[in-house]
Parts: sequence; C-alpha cells; structure tokens
Amino acid sequence: MMAVNPHSEPAKMEQIITEFFAKSLHIILESRCPFVSSRNYSGELSSASAASMRPRDKWFNLALRDCPAALENIDFWRQSNLEPMVVDVVLVQRPVNWDYASSSPKLAFEQNLLSKDRFPVVWKSDSDEFWCDGHSEKVIERWIMRYESKKGCKEGSSANKRSSTITSHALYKKSILLLRSLYVTVRLLPAYKIFREINSSGQIRSFSLVHRVSSSVEPLVRRDEAEMQQFTFTPVDTSCGKLCISLSYLPSISDTTSESSTPMSPQFITDYVGSPLADPLKRLPSASLPQYSPSSPFGRRHSWSYDTRMASPPSALPSPSPTYSESRTLHSKFGSHRPPISSRYSSLEPAQVHTKDTGYDEYFPSPNFSPSPSPSPPVGSNMLKVLLRSDSAPVYIPTSRLGDAPLYSNKTVLPFSPPLQATRPSLSLVERSLSIPTTAGKLLSLRGEDTARPSGVKISSNSSPHKSSSRSFSRLSFEDSYDDSEFSGPFVVDDDDTLDPGSRPGSSDRSGNLGMQHERVKSQDAAVGALVQMLKKAPPLQQDLNRSQYVSKTSRPEKSSNQIQDHPPHASSNVSSFSRVSGIKTTSDAMEELKGYLDVKQMLLKQSGKP
Amino acid sequence: MNCEVCQLKELDVEYFEIREVLRCILHTIFFHRALGLVRPKDVDLTLFEITYVQCGDAELEKKVDDKIDQFIDRVEKHPNKKNQICLSFFEVKNKQATWFTHKVEHLYWEQWYINLNVAHHPKPHSGKSHHSKLVLDPGESASDEGNARRATLESSLHEVLFQIIKFVNEKKDHIPPIPNMEGVSFPYEITISSSSDSAFGMDMFKRMLQTGHPTMLS
Repeated sequence: MMAVNPHSEPAKMEQIITEFFAKSLHIILESRCPFVSSRNYSGELSSASAASMRPRDKWFNLALRDCPAALENIDFWRQSNLEPMVVDVVLVQRPVNWDYASSSPKLAFEQNLLSKDRFPVVWKSDSDEFWCDGHSEKVIERWIMRYESKKGCKEGSSANKRSSTITSHALYKKSILLLRSLYVTVRLLPAYKIFREINSSGQIRSFSLVHRVSSSVEPLVRRDEAEMQQFTFTPVDTSCGKLCISLSYLPSISDTTSESSTPMSPQFITDYVGSPLADPLKRLPSASLPQYSPSSPFGRRHSWSYDTRMASPPSALPSPSPTYSESRTLHSKFGSHRPPISSRYSSLEPAQVHTKDTGYDEYFPSPNFSPSPSPSPPVGSNMLKVLLRSDSAPVYIPTSRLGDAPLYSNKTVLPFSPPLQATRPSLSLVERSLSIPTTAGKLLSLRGEDTARPSGVKISSNSSPHKSSSRSFSRLSFEDSYDDSEFSGPFVVDDDDTLDPGSRPGSSDRSGNLGMQHERVKSQDAAVGALVQMLKKAPPLQQDLNRSQYVSKTSRPEKSSNQIQDHPPHASSNVSSFSRVSGIKTTSDAMEELKGYLDVKQMLLKQSGKP
Repeated sequence: MNCEVCQLKELDVEYFEIREVLRCILHTIFFHRALGLVRPKDVDLTLFEITYVQCGDAELEKKVDDKIDQFIDRVEKHPNKKNQICLSFFEVKNKQATWFTHKVEHLYWEQWYINLNVAHHPKPHSGKSHHSKLVLDPGESASDEGNARRATLESSLHEVLFQIIKFVNEKKDHIPPIPNMEGVSFPYEITISSSSDSAFGMDMFKRMLQTGHPTMLS
C-alpha cells in the first residue's frame, strides 16, 4: 500500500474525520458518564492555559477535560476503520432495597467491561429493557456517528485534489459548527438532567447511567423505538462522503426517575460541629510541660495538640511544628491520650483563655476530647468550649472549677496567672488581702469569726475560703482584664506561667510584666478600687445588699478611707445613719465591720510601703 | 454573500426573567459563532432547568450583560411594547473614500432577532437589578398560574434554543472565513428596538436593503 503523505489532503481529511468521531464521543460521554465530567472546565482562555492544553484538546477549537471513557472507546473504534460509532446511553434502574454496597459498583463495572469488549457488539438481547439481577436497563439515547462515503469516490485522485484542499478547510470549519451544536444539544436533552442528578449528590439512587459504544447498530425494541424522537444534525459534506450525527432519544424520562432516591440509613452524627465530641477544649498545656517556651510562637498555638500527648513523656515530643502537622492526622493517637489531659483542662479554664489563635483552634480541633472520661463537669467544659470558640477576647468563664486551680505559685506570681499544677505556697500579703474580701457575704461571715484582725491572712490559711476567695479574686481579675484591654497582657503571662512553670519564679522574661502587676497591686488606690469592684459585683445576700453598698461607699477612694480612718466618729455616724436606713441590727456590729476594713486598709498601706 | 436572518420565537417574559432568558439565548448564539479556541463553560439557569453554554470569554460576558441592562432600561421606559434585540454579525468593508464619505461599511451576513414580550407589571424599583419577584396574588390559583406560565416559558425557551441549533446546522455556507480572533470570531453588534419605535420595522427594512439580497426568514 502506498504510503500516504500525512500532509496530503486525503490524510488531512481522514484525520479530520477520525478526530471528529473522537470529539463527538468525548462530548457525548462527558455529559453522560457520571463523575467523569469536564463540566465547567473552562475559565478564561489565557495564553498559558491554551499552551498547556494537549494537542487533542485543540481539535475543532473545543477544549474539553479528559474523559477516560471516551478515550478507552475511541481507541477501540480506531481499529474499526471508520465504521459507524453507536453510543447507547442506558438508564439502569435497580429496586429500592437493592444492595447497593455490593452490587452497584460491580454492575457498573461489568457494564463498562462489556462495552469494552463489544466491538463488534455482542449484545444479543431482544429487548432493550434488559433484566439482570433485579435491575432493568433502558436505552434512553442512541447516538450514531457515521461517515457515509460516496460511491465511486477515490481519495487522492487528481480531479479532487484542488477541491479537496478547499474541502478539508471547509470540512474543518463545518465540523467545528456541528460539534458546537452537539455540545449544546447534549445539555438540552432529558438524559442530561439524570446525569446531573446522579453527579450532584452522593446519595445512593435507584438508577444510574451507563453507556455502550459499539460499531454496529442494534435494533431497538419497537416499543422503545416508537417512544423515541429523532434528531439529525445536518451532515457535513466532504469530498468523498459526509459526516452524520443522528440521535434517538426518549423525550420524557421523568417518570422513571421520579421516585425518590434511597435515603441513606439514618446515622446519628455524634461529632457534629459544636458537639462535645467534635470540638476540642482549646486549652493550653499544663504547667508541667517544659518543652514549650514562652517565646515559641507554636508553644501556645499548638498547645492543644500538645496536650493530647500528655501521656507521653514531654521530652519525647517533637518540635512544635511537627506536632502541629501531626495533630491533623493522628487523631486516634490523640484520642488515646485524652484522659489524662482533660482532667487538667477544667482547672486550666481561666488560664487558657487568650486572645490569640482561637481561629486556629477552631480549624484544627483536637479530636476525641469529650469521649474520654473527664472529671470536669460537662456543663462547665461546654461553656468553656462555647466561649473559647466564639470569642477572641478574654472571657470570664463561670465555672465551678475556677476555684480549684491554685492561683499562685509564689508571691511573685500575679493574681491573674492561674497555674495548673502550681502548689499553693504562701501568698503575699497583698495577694492574700486581695483575695479575702470577695463577697459581702464572706465579709459578713468574717464578722462572726474573726474580728479586728487581719482576717485576710486568716482566711488565706483556710483552704475552702481560700478557694472561694481565690475564685472571687480570679473573677475580679478576669473581669478587670475583660474590661480593661491592657489586662490582656497578663493572659500572655499566665500562659507562659502555665507552660513553663520551671521558669516561672522570678523569670526574667516576664519580670517586666510582673513588675507592672506589682505596681498595680501596690497601688493603694487600685487595691481599694479592687475592693470596691468586688463588693459591687458580689452577689447580694438578703439584707446584705445594702450593706455591700455601704461598704463600697466607705472603702472606695483613698480619700474616703482616709476620712474614715481619720474620722472615726464620722464613720460611726455614717454607720449609724445607715443602720437607721437599712435596719442593721446594731451599730457595734457595723463598727466592727468597719474596723475590719480599716485593718485591711492598714495592711494595704503597709504593703505599699514595702520595696 | 447573503444575510441569513433568524427570527426567534417570541417569548413572554416577566421583568425578572429578562436577564436569564437573554443571557441564555445570546450566549448560545455566540457559542456557535466563537469559532476560535474556546473552553466551554456550562451555566445553569436559576429560573429554569436549562443549562446553556458560554464560550468562556469574560469580555463577551460583560458586553452581553451591559446590553441586557440597556434592554431592561428600555423596557422600563417603554412598557407594554414588544421589545427586540438584534444580534448582527458583519464583515468590515472599507468603502472607497470619496470627498463626502469615508466610512467603514458593515456587511451583515447574519442577524438574529430575539423577540421578547415583557409583561407589564409595576416594578418596585428601576435599576439594573431585577431580581425581585413579582408579588403574586394570594391564593393557590395565582401560584398555579405562575407555575404554568413558568413551565410554558421554559418550554418556549427550549424551543428557541433548538431553533438556534437547527439554524446553525442548516446555514453554514454563508459564514465568512474565520478570522484569527479570540472570543467571538466575527465582529458583531447588538441593537435594541421596540415596537413603539417608528423605525422598528424600518430598521429591519434598512438592514434588509443593505444586504442586497432578499432575506430568508426562518
């Protein structure tokens, strides 16, 4: 056989025809094979994107995504030497209670295998509605692409040489137009809706689409053929024939697919967003974790993930970055480490609140937090989670566990730093005194227990009052920090404290902050103001509500306290007047109370006088 | 070269449907006339279960939207009238310069007439945004009527699209050689007219005369 010059017109013609078939098949199967769609493949046609396209994509100036089904079938078809290409789009319907897990993928796979082997078509069923294994198939579309060659026309003949040149160009242009029409048409047919429906959701449906590509036209069942409508694209003439695309389709398929798709078995989603199972407790690691340095940007950020590894020795932990990356994948490992961590979280609640990295924590929640047994009360932990998730600012967390956390490691530790595992050393005088007058009720209780003494010191020695006082004080501190933006610093310090307790005492890194805090504490006015704040916000107790107001009045400013100190008669008169108004039992009681406050004031003054 | 004219089926639309209907029709036509390298972009209509195809040219998309905006403005100014958009493809011919004229002549080789009959309803707010739905009368009958009208319009729009496909398939010989242009391969223009215009029919007649050949109305 004479070698054909690839640049000759006949060769070009043949190439155009071959590629026409390939492109047609690609267009059809792209919109009929579920999950193999190149839909919305396009964007703006940039020069870079155009350059990146494969040569086949540019055929007929229509760039499409890869369609493996089309590629597979066209390879087989090329061997058929321009035989007609018949593409059947088959709607496969299965019973509603069909075992999808075991059957449907297999069914589709088998169908595709059959399609591969079906050159020529070995489909010998008399009915297009083929029942197999409980499912039915129905041909809803039949596309036939064929090249009808003219009889007696010889390719490469000299008579046709000149016209064929024109013809090849015209053929290409008209082929472009035809394929554009084909592309639009496939999307206007009813089968396209089914294709989109299958592709749109992952629901298991009772129907699916399969395709069969063959080189011979198998007759359709009369009934189906009668239902189908015909559409034929205008053939494109060539020098020796014409390219034709014809279509038979069912105009209405809605009745077969109108049945609802099989719903997925109901599953209880236990780890929904916002559930205790899904959302992590965004807490910083405990104070006993020496690996994280305060200066490390990841120390705080990844602390939650680090927390999940608390079961392992801290020294075995990698650097923060790997921890961060690993935390995203090793969820099971995290979950296994949950129990020992969660017990610390509740006590860490006030300490772990910080303004940063809340968004990060939201995106990378520590898994399996809640399923682990946690001693923390679920309500409090949930509240924590809600607050941590929603707010980026320091938040006061009204949890009962607040008081359990020892607030101070030593006297250098600020009241705002609730260390996790810090012991309860002796408190500084200032801190003790600050911790004492928590509520009016507490103050009145002191009245009966301790009179005319530094009740603050006494209270501090008592564990339970200390807890309550520390709670109240921490409440105060957090409230202050919540109200005052400059208090956001302490949270940073707190985190550092909890992260690196070893360096906590007298750490040079935090000395600046500590000194600032001391200055605040030292300030007499601030202390008095703190007292006033506490008293104001203390929960009222029956008749003590008015007393608290009285106390706040008396202890508010330095000036007023000095006045009280310097002018006891005035205070007593005030007390007596107040007693007349509020109905306090005895004036002496009030005086004792006042004396207590004065003692506190003295202590404060002494403390402020210290270096 | 003769000018092929296609008068598309008239559609009865509401104000809020104008944009979607015109986009669908215009882009379908342009997709058949953007014969350069394209990456087709499928667009689903929100009001109808129809997916049309764009040729992926952002500039063209913008021009089409601008023209639709003009059409909507015109419809607002001329309610209760039949409105028409004419999409014309032409070739540019330089006329021989004379003392009086030196202009570029447009030889139209294809014209598409999109006929819309916009139902007159009091519009809530004039502007380019027409996404607000019309207030339907309470009662099931009004909603049923609306659904029936919508279904009819969808069917009609379907017919129009197939009308375009058939026309494109049947008429191919009049298309000039494909220039090396990105996007739409051929120069085009979109004109808007309404039945109230005195030149509504005259404009068509002028175009017919310009072509020099009797038009073939489909």
